[in-house]
Amino acid sequence: MASHEGTHEEFHYHAPGLQHQFEDMKQQEESVSIGMWMFLVQEIMFFGGLFSAYLVFRSRFPLAFAEGSNHLDPFWGGLNTLVLIVSSLTMALTVFYAQRGNRNMQVLMIVLTMIFGATFLGVKLIEYTDKYNNGLIPVTGWNKRIKDTGASEHTAETSPAKDAAFVLPLVETRTSAAESATHEIHPNPKGEFQWNYGSHVFDYAIEKEKTSGKAYLTQSERIGYFSNGAFDPNKYRDKIRIFFYIYFVMTGLHALHMIIGLGVMVWLLWAAFRGTFSSDYYAPVEMSGLYWHFVDIVWIFLFPLLYLLGRHFLHS
Amino acid sequence: MQNVDAIGSADLTGPTKTNYLSNGFTLKSWLLTKDHKRIAIMYLITISLFFMAGGLYAATIRLELLTPDTDLLTSATYNKVFTQHGILMIFFFLIPSIPAVLGNFLLPIMIGAKDLALPRINLLSLYIYWIGGALTVYALLQGGVDTGWTFYTPYSTTFSNSYVMAVGLGIFINGFSSILTGLNFIVTVHTMRAPGMTWFRLPLFVWAQYATSLVMILGTPVIAITVLLLAIERTVQVGIFDPAIGGDPILFQHMFWFYSHPAVYIMVLPGMGVVSELISNFSRKKIFGYEFIAFSSIAIAVFGFLVWGHHMFVSGQSIYAGMVFSFLTMVVAIPSAIKMFNWSATLYKGSISYDTPMLYGLGFMGLFLIGGLTGLFLGSLGLVVHLTDTYFVVAHFHYVMVGGQVIAYLGGLHYWWPKMTGRMYSEFWGKVSAMLVFIGFNLTFFPQFILGYQGMPRRYASYPAELQVLNIFSTAGASVLAVGFIMPLIYLVHSLFYGKKAPDNPWMLPGLEWRTSSPPPTENFEKMPVVTWEAYEFGEESGLDLDEARRRESVTTVS
Repeated sequence: MASHEGTHEEFHYHAPGLQHQFEDMKQQEESVSIGMWMFLVQEIMFFGGLFSAYLVFRSRFPLAFAEGSNHLDPFWGGLNTLVLIVSSLTMALTVFYAQRGNRNMQVLMIVLTMIFGATFLGVKLIEYTDKYNNGLIPVTGWNKRIKDTGASEHTAETSPAKDAAFVLPLVETRTSAAESATHEIHPNPKGEFQWNYGSHVFDYAIEKEKTSGKAYLTQSERIGYFSNGAFDPNKYRDKIRIFFYIYFVMTGLHALHMIIGLGVMVWLLWAAFRGTFSSDYYAPVEMSGLYWHFVDIVWIFLFPLLYLLGRHFLHS
Repeated sequence: MQNVDAIGSADLTGPTKTNYLSNGFTLKSWLLTKDHKRIAIMYLITISLFFMAGGLYAATIRLELLTPDTDLLTSATYNKVFTQHGILMIFFFLIPSIPAVLGNFLLPIMIGAKDLALPRINLLSLYIYWIGGALTVYALLQGGVDTGWTFYTPYSTTFSNSYVMAVGLGIFINGFSSILTGLNFIVTVHTMRAPGMTWFRLPLFVWAQYATSLVMILGTPVIAITVLLLAIERTVQVGIFDPAIGGDPILFQHMFWFYSHPAVYIMVLPGMGVVSELISNFSRKKIFGYEFIAFSSIAIAVFGFLVWGHHMFVSGQSIYAGMVFSFLTMVVAIPSAIKMFNWSATLYKGSISYDTPMLYGLGFMGLFLIGGLTGLFLGSLGLVVHLTDTYFVVAHFHYVMVGGQVIAYLGGLHYWWPKMTGRMYSEFWGKVSAMLVFIGFNLTFFPQFILGYQGMPRRYASYPAELQVLNIFSTAGASVLAVGFIMPLIYLVHSLFYGKKAPDNPWMLPGLEWRTSSPPPTENFEKMPVVTWEAYEFGEESGLDLDEARRRESVTTVS
């Protein structure tokens, strides 16, 4: 039985939850804290890979990204942001009450945190369902299949036929995705990714180029949106699809971390209910809190980068 | 009882105490253990199996390359063979090797702790390694992958008909094993050091593991996300790497190499840590430039993240990017050079004993020198255009990875074998196989520098007929190298049953790991040490009994 050189004490008081490899709780708390921070650092690197992919494609195709972003509903995104921030508050309060050994308040705060977390996921479900219904999931077959009933297709409000020389189209700017989503029903027999909302951001940029003489398209865009010198809506759609691919991978991975967070909360709730945590031993609550705050802060970055692009392009 | 005043008095006749090996014989006591030493032994067995599997693939490659024609294998099969050689050796052997085996075993002992900070995370790391490895092996048995270990798009996403997803998933899972080990080491070095064990009294092996752990934590998640994106794109055929839909295949290369370059530092830094131990201890001289070596490990870890573009000089990245990466590649060589100079200075006027571990340590110095210098050739913009994707590159990375880390790993394994197993291996056979490894290695890979310079492309099953002679040398060398690798397997296992029982301190050295029994008890020390001496102190201040040291020959010479 290992003991410190020079001490003659036989009896050591072990704080509840002290693991065998540690000398005292302070060492244990310090260790798990550094451990959790290191874990969060690697999580940052994990999401960082996606952020760098986002960076590359947004800097190449800003108009397509703005176009796609305009069709994410900032109401739901904003609501989710608020929900997560409040859930971080309730999580911080959980730690606060755990430090004071207040079992009932701990449990209440954990339950509230879980409710907010579930709300976040519910809102994401609403958003994803909307994308499914409108053919905005990037994978063929993963969107709602709508049979082609032969009814008149939504007349192109956007680009001219690809053979014609480039003509500035006459369009009205749309205000919200909700409006455009309810008006026309486009056939989608294969459940493909479809872009039926025109190219308003692109049109706006072209117009600004003509009127101001300054460049509003990147070099990549001058190649990437055009075929044979004419605007190619299919190529434009491809870049918008990349936006939605990145949107789904990033928010999907974030939602997965949220689900894991809820799992952690379930365990924490069970442990808190049993009165495990007190002023002597509350590190697990603190560490769970760190994880929760991390998931929150990833969303804080995701929301503006995905939802708030190019809002100033269109009249609101 | 350990008495720090007379660590030389090896008690070989006393009653056998419980050690970590005899503390429980059931399968459950091993599979559910929290003991870092048992986890290290389980890693040792597993990575040895992967090394043999990767070695079989290597043998197949060398056999095919005996003749200029594609006669032994079809090109399609050859693609799978070199891919799988790379994947097994890199992800399942080299990256875990020293950290998971020697690091896991020794790190807590070297800092005077009972265990790592997070033993259950350590066990989880092992389980994840087994799961990732099992999935990958399963995929290889089903038909394998042929994309090259680099998985370049769009071949891997769109055109390859092999098990990219399964192997990718195996690598993804395995990455978490790496991350958790690194995380554990960082926490442990920060919080578990014994009283008196300050940062600058740490053995340089610990500094090297710490630097490696930084790379593991920061780099591995990036390969994880890259492989994930690759898998998604392969499954749904939509993604960011396919140029037909607006994606960028070079983005894959950037993301891939952003991890895979630091990964090669994971595959050399631990080896350098071992070599610091070997050179100092077998010269019986305090290492020269301790702080320089310690900080150079950190510098390599940091700068290693800035040079990934040197794998992409001919990929179409801008010439300005090429210039920056080339310059930084030269810079990252400097800390490694600092180590080489410090090791050389340590040898100077040292009392050198040419035991097996020292032979490996010296071998590392020579082979890493060649490997490192040829890396500089490859980092020069002018030369790299001629040498890219030739056997010159193959020779370079085998010199640093095999001539470097594998040789250091073998050296460390021999050095710490008495501590880990409580047995002495056969010094004669150790020396013989060290020489065979050195000779075989050079015979295998030196001709490949010449072959590459003469234009032999890598990853091809055939080559121009005039290059056959050098290829034959290379294959002949590979057979010698194979013998050199197989021999330790035999005599080390033999020593487990018939080897002389090892004393606590068979090499008569001052390190903390030599102040506990061989093998150590489960809690590492009977009494937790209080450190009052500097690292690598060979004088009496460290408690080393010099008379015993002079009698060392009679204690350790075994047949």
